Amino acid sequence: MTSSNSFRRFAFAFGTAFAVVYVLALVQNLALITVYPTLGIVVLGMQHAQDAAPSMGGVPAMHWYGWTATAALGAFMLGLIAAFSPERLTRWIWMGWVWVAPVSAMIACVCLTMPWLHL
Amino acid sequence: MATTLVIIHGLVAAALLGAVTHQTLATWVPNRAQPGSFFGRFRSVPSTSFANAIIALYAVSAILGTFVYLPFRVDVRPVLENSGHWQTLHLFDIKEHFVAIGSALPPARWVCWRQPRADDPPRACAALTSILTFTVWSSFLIGHVTNNIKGFGS
Repeated sequence: MTSSNSFRRFAFAFGTAFAVVYVLALVQNLALITVYPTLGIVVLGMQHAQDAAPSMGGVPAMHWYGWTATAALGAFMLGLIAAFSPERLTRWIWMGWVWVAPVSAMIACVCLTMPWLHL
Repeated sequence: MATTLVIIHGLVAAALLGAVTHQTLATWVPNRAQPGSFFGRFRSVPSTSFANAIIALYAVSAILGTFVYLPFRVDVRPVLENSGHWQTLHLFDIKEHFVAIGSALPPARWVCWRQPRADDPPRACAALTSILTFTVWSSFLIGHVTNNIKGFGS
C-alpha cells in the first residue's frame, strides 16, 4: 500500500512537473543535449546550428531531444521528491494540477510558436 | 528504411487512435444508452481494459517517431523550408511539443484507471484521457498533412 501511494505521488508529480519544466526549457533554451543529425553526433548542452562546422555555414541542430531530456530529468527528480515525501506534506497539493499543467503547457507552446505560424 | 518506419509509425498510431478514442467516448458518453444499441455495446466495454494497451501503443508510437524524426530533419525539412511550407513546419513543431508533454501523462493515467481512490479529483481520469486523445489526434493529423504535403495545394 505504501509503495502504491509512493508511485501514485510520483506519477502525479512527474506528469505535472514535466509539462512545467518542458515549457521552461523551451523558453529559456535549456536543452540537455543537442543532436547534429547530419554529423551523427550528440553534444551536451544547448548548441546552435552555426556552432558546428562553421566553415560549412553551420549544420542542422536538433533541440527537441534536449528539451525533452531536460523536462524528463527535472520531472523525474521532482517525482522522486514527491514519492519519498511524507504524505502529510503532499496531501495539501491539489491533484488536479496533473491535467491543468499539461493543458496550460500546450497552450503556452502554441503561443510561443504562433508568432511564426501566421495562420 | 525511413519509409518503412514511417508506415509502421502510422499503423501503430492508427491502432492507438482507435483505443484512445474508444476509451474517451466511453468515459464521456452518459451511461443511459439502450443495452443492445451501438452506444450500449460501446459503453459496455470496460474502459480500464484499454489502459495498458494505450500506454504500450503510445510508447511504441513515440519511440518510432523519435527515430523517424532524424531523417525528417535531414532530408524532408530542408525541402519544405526551401519551398516555403512554413505553416506546416510550425504546426509540426507544435506536434513535437504536444507529443513530449503527452508522453509524461501515461503513469498518472495508469494510476487513475488502475488504482482509483475516493479522494482523486473528479473527472481527473477523463481529463487525462481527453488530453491524450487530443494529443494523439492532433499529432496524427499534422503528421499526415506533413507526410502528404506535396499533395496539398499543389
